[in-house]
Amino acid sequence: MKIVAVTACPTGIAHTYMAAEALEEAAKKKGYTIKVETRGSVGVENELTDQEIKEADAVVLACDTTVPMERFAGKKLVSAPVAEALKGADAMIDKALKAEPYGQGGGKTLADQVADIKEQKSAERKGVYKHLMNGVSFMIPFVVAGGIAIAISFIFGYNAFEQEGSLAAYLMGIGGGGGAFGLMVPILAGYIAYSIADRPGLAPGMIGGSVAIQLNAGFLGGLVAGFLAGYIVQLIKKYIKLPKNLQGIMPVLIIPVLGSLATGLLLFYVIGKPVAALNAAMNNFLTGMSGANAIALGLIIGLMMAIDMGGPINKAAYAFGTGTLAAAVGTGSAVMAAVMAAGMTPPLGLALATILFKKKFSFAEKEAGKAAWVLGASFITEGAIPFAAADPLRVIPSIMVGSALTGALSMAFGSTLTVPHGGIFVFFAVGNIPGYLIAIAAGTVVTAFLVGTLKKTVE
Amino acid sequence: MTLINENLVVLGLEASSKEDVLTKMASIAAQQGKVNDVQGYTTAVLHRESEYSTAVGFGVAIPHGKTDAVTEPFLMFASVEPIDWAALDGGLVDLVFLIGVPEKEAGSTHLKILAALSRKLMKSDFRDGLRAVKTPQDLLQLLKESDIGL
Repeated sequence: MKIVAVTACPTGIAHTYMAAEALEEAAKKKGYTIKVETRGSVGVENELTDQEIKEADAVVLACDTTVPMERFAGKKLVSAPVAEALKGADAMIDKALKAEPYGQGGGKTLADQVADIKEQKSAERKGVYKHLMNGVSFMIPFVVAGGIAIAISFIFGYNAFEQEGSLAAYLMGIGGGGGAFGLMVPILAGYIAYSIADRPGLAPGMIGGSVAIQLNAGFLGGLVAGFLAGYIVQLIKKYIKLPKNLQGIMPVLIIPVLGSLATGLLLFYVIGKPVAALNAAMNNFLTGMSGANAIALGLIIGLMMAIDMGGPINKAAYAFGTGTLAAAVGTGSAVMAAVMAAGMTPPLGLALATILFKKKFSFAEKEAGKAAWVLGASFITEGAIPFAAADPLRVIPSIMVGSALTGALSMAFGSTLTVPHGGIFVFFAVGNIPGYLIAIAAGTVVTAFLVGTLKKTVE
Repeated sequence: MTLINENLVVLGLEASSKEDVLTKMASIAAQQGKVNDVQGYTTAVLHRESEYSTAVGFGVAIPHGKTDAVTEPFLMFASVEPIDWAALDGGLVDLVFLIGVPEKEAGSTHLKILAALSRKLMKSDFRDGLRAVKTPQDLLQLLKESDIGL
């Protein structure tokens, strides 16, 4: 039997190595071969190669911190705290050999796998990217609620909300600048700061976000305010040391007041105006863009949405799209529309391919294809990952071409969207539906035929 | 590199609890100029201890702390009368390796030594050797011979 293992703990001074030793001893007693990757204070040592993982009969993880997991997909795997390996390395190895394969298969449906992958990705996010995505993920519900309320208000007529006391006016009050859309930037900034500096970051971050709104610095200003507030609070926590009996006033007095004043004044006096100018320039560029430029942007967005299917590049395009929404109240954003369309086509195209080219897919993939329709229609690009993981060199280029076409067509037809998420369930918020449907259908068909042509017949 | 010296070895330390052991060891480390804030260092070590016990079984505990209260990295050894340390295997602890690392420590040499020591502690003949030593010099000799890079 061949075993591979990973040990890791937060301080990484001792237990990582003791667990490694315990696992090595236990394996030796059983006559198994083992290789243990240690992730301790010295860094990653004895790193497992793909070949070793491939040859291993089972994987043992004794880790108190997150470790890269994708590489173990499909392997029998057991995961437990470091302490477990010190207590019973022997039992862990036995358990691993009887374990369910990790990730793919193991009786899990495509939707479950996608949920796992998403969760894992969010756990792996680091640094600036992690903070940004924390802000964006807290902001999305506000944008969805606001966008949909505004969209319903427009059903009564584009100017209906100007009639005081009407339902349209109330809907605009809930969704518009006085309601959900007004909270968007403060929430974004607040939760970026929260991610950086924990709870004390929230107030200075949200206040910084409202300052950004006053300066007309929009989404971009919110980003800047969030990071500024977060790091300022970190500095305050680090450098302002109060006597022990006064420490209680740090979170209720010192940090909120100092943090908010420092963030706010820096925005007003120094950073706010240039950021506002940049934000205005970006919005003018986007709204003024037409013809070939718009199509090129749609193409790039499409490529970005498909290349890593929910990874950092996809999320960068997505965050950009939601940012354009803030400046597009009333008209809807063409960029957002292209982002959503291009994010829907990879799973849709693969689902279509499993029907048109039955011989090119395994039974499991054909079953997964059924779920991929739903995931694609709901704008969950990650639905393509299981297909791409099985055959990346043929699948990823195919979905990139399909999404690029969809993005470009959506821009060319001038389709717009007032909400950031929802797939077919928010099509009532789409401007120029016929064009939008053509764009999505074209990308789906092209993806399906490319995948079908490139993929080899399954034996 | 002098991570440990005979002044940092205490055979038969008298102490009533794990907190007492840690405070007494930290005070000795402070006398040797390794720690500039006994209370700060002890707090850091106990905080680490509260995450889960560093008593890893077999009668051995390896408490450790990475904090500004440490001026230079050190390793300390003490043998004590068996004492409760909330050990993973439920047993008592009679061998204590205390580890101190400064917060801003960049080098990794001493970490490699500690890693090697941790591995060594899982071997029963090494632990038996630790229990058999009669003088601090013997202990240092044992550590030297154990091939962990000290």
